[in-house]
Amino acid sequence: MAKRIFASGNVTFTASAAGSQATGGGYMTVVGSAATQITDILEVMISGKATASTVAAMYLNRASTLGTGGAVALAGQNSDGAMNPATAALASPVVVAVDYTTNEAIPSSTVTDGRLQLGLNLFGGIIRWNAAPTQQMTIISASAPGGSVILWNSSSGGGSSGLADAHIIYESF
Amino acid sequence: MANVLKPEGYLFVDHRASPGMSPDVARNMGLDPKLVGEGTVFEAATQRCCHCPSVFIKNPLRTRERGHCYKCNGYICDACEIASKSPDYVHRHVNEVIDKVSSGRYAMSGSTSLPILTRTPSNG
Repeated sequence: MAKRIFASGNVTFTASAAGSQATGGGYMTVVGSAATQITDILEVMISGKATASTVAAMYLNRASTLGTGGAVALAGQNSDGAMNPATAALASPVVVAVDYTTNEAIPSSTVTDGRLQLGLNLFGGIIRWNAAPTQQMTIISASAPGGSVILWNSSSGGGSSGLADAHIIYESF
Repeated sequence: MANVLKPEGYLFVDHRASPGMSPDVARNMGLDPKLVGEGTVFEAATQRCCHCPSVFIKNPLRTRERGHCYKCNGYICDACEIASKSPDYVHRHVNEVIDKVSSGRYAMSGSTSLPILTRTPSNG
């Protein structure tokens, strides 16, 4: 029960179609790791770093199918850590990933799954969403449909691939 | 009595140093082109749906009726509003779903707006 920041740097959010596998290394996902685990998504921020006008149709979405083969360990400018250095380690740490070994996560295209629209122009655009207390997006369990969220760029929504930095603040219970 | 206007989240979209979105792309994403074009700052309130663990952006220009649950006395997202019209819809507050799944006695399937809660065999 402590807030953590999952940050990515110099990620090219590759546009992919809803209902199809996202591109490895081109998205951010947070996945519960136990059937009884609850995780609140508290904040999302994206800072565009494209060098020319690039509209990204970013969504904070459910994944209809989770990635398989295990999450590739974060490296380079990507990180995940507690906001308070005195935080104790979780017994079941939430899985955060930008890439999976075998199959990538598939963003849900189901019309009855909620998604937060975070579209922006990555050429100088900045977007930040911050949840009020009790108004956060919640991950329930460790399996689809409610067990994960994915921050991705939708080609179905008219987005083009582009470079950005981003972070997701979350808290597990 | 609980107020239907629960605490609101905050969305901030800054295109002051950016060309922003072209009108056709903005409309494709369901945004007003005037709010996300070049040199603009768009700020909006967000709320969590009472029925699913999702967040939606409140459209200040909306004229259609916003989905409202009289049992929860709170706003619900459009997806849950559609789902609630289904004849086999089972009303559940999002906290009920969270409590049941986190108890370990139920597993969730279906979609987040039409969750199917199944008793897990090991917990009877």
